[in-house]
Amino acid sequence: MNSKRTLATAACAALAVVSLAACGSGSSDNSAGSSGSDKALSTVTFWDPYPQYDDSSDWAKYVEACAPAGTTLKRTAVPNGDVLNSLTTAVKEGTAPDVVLLDNPAVPDAAASGLLVDAKTAGIDTSGPDANLAGPGTVDGVSYGVPIGANTLGLYYNADILKKDGVDPASIKDWASLDAALAKVKAGGDGGITFAGISGEEGTFQFLPWFWGAGAKLQDPGSDAAVAAGQLVSDWIGKGYAPKSAATDNQSASWDLFLTGKYAFAENGSWFAKAATEQKFKAVMMPIPAKDGGAAPVPTGGEFAVAPLQKKDASAHYAAANQIIDCLVGSGHQVKTDDQLGYFAASASERKAQIDSDPMWGPWANAITSAQGRTSDLGPDYTATSGAVSTAEQAALNAAGDAGSVKKAFEDAAGSLQ
Amino acid sequence: MSTRTHDHRAWWKTVIGVTLTAVMLFPLYWMVNVSLTDRSAIRDGDLYPRAFTFDHYTTVIHDQLPYLGTSLVIGLATVALTLVIAAPAGYALSKLFVPGKRLLNFLLIVAQMIPAVVMALGFYSVYNDLGMLDTVWGLILADSTIAVPFAVMLFTAFMSGIQRELLEAAHVDGASYWRTFLRIVLPLSRNAAVTVGLFAFIWAWSDFLFASTLNRSGDRRPITMGLYDYIGSQNLQWGELMATAVLASIPTGLLLVIAQRYVAAGLTAGAVKD
Amino acid sequence: MSMTLLEKSAARRPARTGDATARRRRLMRPGVLAGIGFVSPLVAYMALFYAYPLYENVSMSLHRFTRATYVTGEAPWAGSAIYREVIASPQFWPTVSHTATFVVVSLVFQYSIGLALAVFFQRHFPLSGVLRGLFLVPWLLPIIVSGTTWQWMMDADSGVINRLIGVFGVDPVWWLNTDHSLWAVIIANIWLGVPFNLVILYSGLQNISPDLYEAAAIDGAGPWRQFWSITFPLLKPVSAITLLLGFVYTLKVVDIIWIMTRGTGASQTLATWAYSMAFGKGASAVIKYSEASVVGSILLLIALCMGFVYLAVQRRQEA
Repeated sequence: MNSKRTLATAACAALAVVSLAACGSGSSDNSAGSSGSDKALSTVTFWDPYPQYDDSSDWAKYVEACAPAGTTLKRTAVPNGDVLNSLTTAVKEGTAPDVVLLDNPAVPDAAASGLLVDAKTAGIDTSGPDANLAGPGTVDGVSYGVPIGANTLGLYYNADILKKDGVDPASIKDWASLDAALAKVKAGGDGGITFAGISGEEGTFQFLPWFWGAGAKLQDPGSDAAVAAGQLVSDWIGKGYAPKSAATDNQSASWDLFLTGKYAFAENGSWFAKAATEQKFKAVMMPIPAKDGGAAPVPTGGEFAVAPLQKKDASAHYAAANQIIDCLVGSGHQVKTDDQLGYFAASASERKAQIDSDPMWGPWANAITSAQGRTSDLGPDYTATSGAVSTAEQAALNAAGDAGSVKKAFEDAAGSLQ
Repeated sequence: MSTRTHDHRAWWKTVIGVTLTAVMLFPLYWMVNVSLTDRSAIRDGDLYPRAFTFDHYTTVIHDQLPYLGTSLVIGLATVALTLVIAAPAGYALSKLFVPGKRLLNFLLIVAQMIPAVVMALGFYSVYNDLGMLDTVWGLILADSTIAVPFAVMLFTAFMSGIQRELLEAAHVDGASYWRTFLRIVLPLSRNAAVTVGLFAFIWAWSDFLFASTLNRSGDRRPITMGLYDYIGSQNLQWGELMATAVLASIPTGLLLVIAQRYVAAGLTAGAVKD
Repeated sequence: MSMTLLEKSAARRPARTGDATARRRRLMRPGVLAGIGFVSPLVAYMALFYAYPLYENVSMSLHRFTRATYVTGEAPWAGSAIYREVIASPQFWPTVSHTATFVVVSLVFQYSIGLALAVFFQRHFPLSGVLRGLFLVPWLLPIIVSGTTWQWMMDADSGVINRLIGVFGVDPVWWLNTDHSLWAVIIANIWLGVPFNLVILYSGLQNISPDLYEAAAIDGAGPWRQFWSITFPLLKPVSAITLLLGFVYTLKVVDIIWIMTRGTGASQTLATWAYSMAFGKGASAVIKYSEASVVGSILLLIALCMGFVYLAVQRRQEA
């Protein structure tokens, strides 16, 4: 890993030289002889992973209003799964946008691959957000960006079903009581729990509360605690508590299942908190229980505002990036931005005002404060570990309760990383 | 051509045909069903839209119509470009002597195996240098690469069935190769041309990879990119997605039904008799 | 790798076709100039659009690319090392076997259903044109939509297919789990491929003269005999091209599999494997450009072998 990073740093240095030379030759085209200084930008570009907001949406207008003076901002929405690859191509071709909102677990990988400029060079202020939320933006002590906001996971329940089947939500404190509740609900003829076990990062994200809640560490995905988490979800399939489609459902699909009103529980994100208040049944959120009681650590979700590496007119681009990022997440601006997205503000002081303003957010306050960055333990190595954990979870779900297969799956995952 | 005999058996065939079509189109029905179902019931799996809503269509009609127009332009232009390149090549490869013919045949097969993503990245790099990113005609050019090798091979296979005597007779009459191609070969290849056109259109219509790589932020983007609007990072709006798909398949479905009727029987036979 | 094969075959050909004078005589034929003229737009087009990506793919498989070296373009030379790593990987042979099953089963059913439908539609009957056109409509749907529809229809707990087979007393099947997912994606892929086969084979049928059938009918041949002695033999060139193209397209199918199962379990084929590595989209987000290109090159090689088979078949038909 280390040699890779050195290489990337060297490459950045080489690029800096090249880009200086390019600037030098480029400026000779201008009639003014101001050699060395960058051309003023007339357009700045901005990528976000929110295609659901089209050009006429409030979000688009909000972002466009953040254009630095004398420029117009061009926003492009790229689906979440394509952002990193599109960014890779764009940086390679020298057409990188000024600012990208990048999914937080992808930031260390992007930084280590030399796609991003560090916050210090770009002049971006990273001091505001809480340490647990800013974690994924820091790689080897170097900071690369600011969280645009944060979201996390909780356990929604259908209060109507629990009442009908005689389950007191307050009794659910650990895995044993959750399983007991699921058994009761099933006996009452209702569905148990929906969650997203789809292959890939999304599945890992949803698996981590159980994984961490069992006491497992990402450094050792083959541990007994990890196996216990795998066994939990595997049994849910085996005993019919969870739909078999959990193995292929993403978070949106598992939410749609919960919306049918046939399932008692749904592990899902804070971004559905508002939608949960608008259903024909009463949907309430509780923290995800850990194995032996208490709230399980949950992973942080959400994007980081980062500035990609520029090959041409670098300092002008970085200055623009700096202004846009400040406009979106500088102090005093966070709540407005995050209300647009349904996220929590990343710094505690601003978040307090946000949570106080809407009772809907109340149950989430502790979850977001105690949430953990996915990449905090492993940095860029998280990407490979997450893949191994996802493969193991898939195998566990398909095993439908078979303990031997579950154990082997997680041992294989640990083995594949050595 | 005179085999249009409508006896009693033909009606039985219609019944069977309708049944088969219904089986084939069942997933399509399912889409319509979902597109008319309220989100809260989308995963209920009802056989008909019990929680009926027309909201998805209202949203989609409002948002997606411009994308449809762009897709039609791109599809038709891709068909034209594909035919212009592939038809003469098919004629040459099937009826004329071309040095390196077998090598060319090979390359056509290989060309179809180049992963589309490799093609897309190559185009991205070139278009970036030429300032052709985010343009409609850049996308037309790229989309044509999906169909051209296929089109050449299909034209070659069909044109090799044209009787040599026909062409030789034309030469005796003093027609140039170009005139022979235009007056005899092309009209006789109508079935192949319509077939090639259909496929070129469908591929361009459904292309997603080139559009997402080469026309990420253009003002005029195809319908496959319009679908993106309903795919949030953590939230997919299936009702709207399905409604878009249904809506988009109506004009193009009509186009296909009409085009299919031009695949006519007995062209070669008719020409020999004349 | 593929180029050397091509060069060899190109170099061998003149010697095979005979002596130099024969070759010169053929080159002098008046058709030659015209042939070159008609084919030149295609040659220019291919040189412009395919040569570079092809070179790029092979080159990437011979250098060790990561995300970082992809950006800088400074990937170190690896020679055949990555090929050896990929082939030695425990995933390789199972994936090859899934791919073979996927391609062969898909092709057999797509072709036979397509041909049966083409023959069925050969004689006009009321509504035949409209129905034939409707058969194409599934193809117009964005794959993300049709793939998801199949996923829902195959849902283990509430899918319409399980409910249908339940009517006949069959236990519900977990279609999309590790063991059955290959069959699930094959079924969806057959559905997707039937229109392609139907359209080409139907156009091919229309080029067979109706006179032949009339003559056969006068000789007392029934529909079954007519099919085997007229339709099938005369359709051979079109069948060959349909199967070849179908093979090539089936080999590189990614999207329908991806949407239904993400290429997990038995549904991983060479193409989805390459896709997941090239985009970092499967279980693991680690990007593997070079490994993906290796698998891509292997796919090219398989297609090339099919090309040889096709040429052999073509030559036999010409003879």
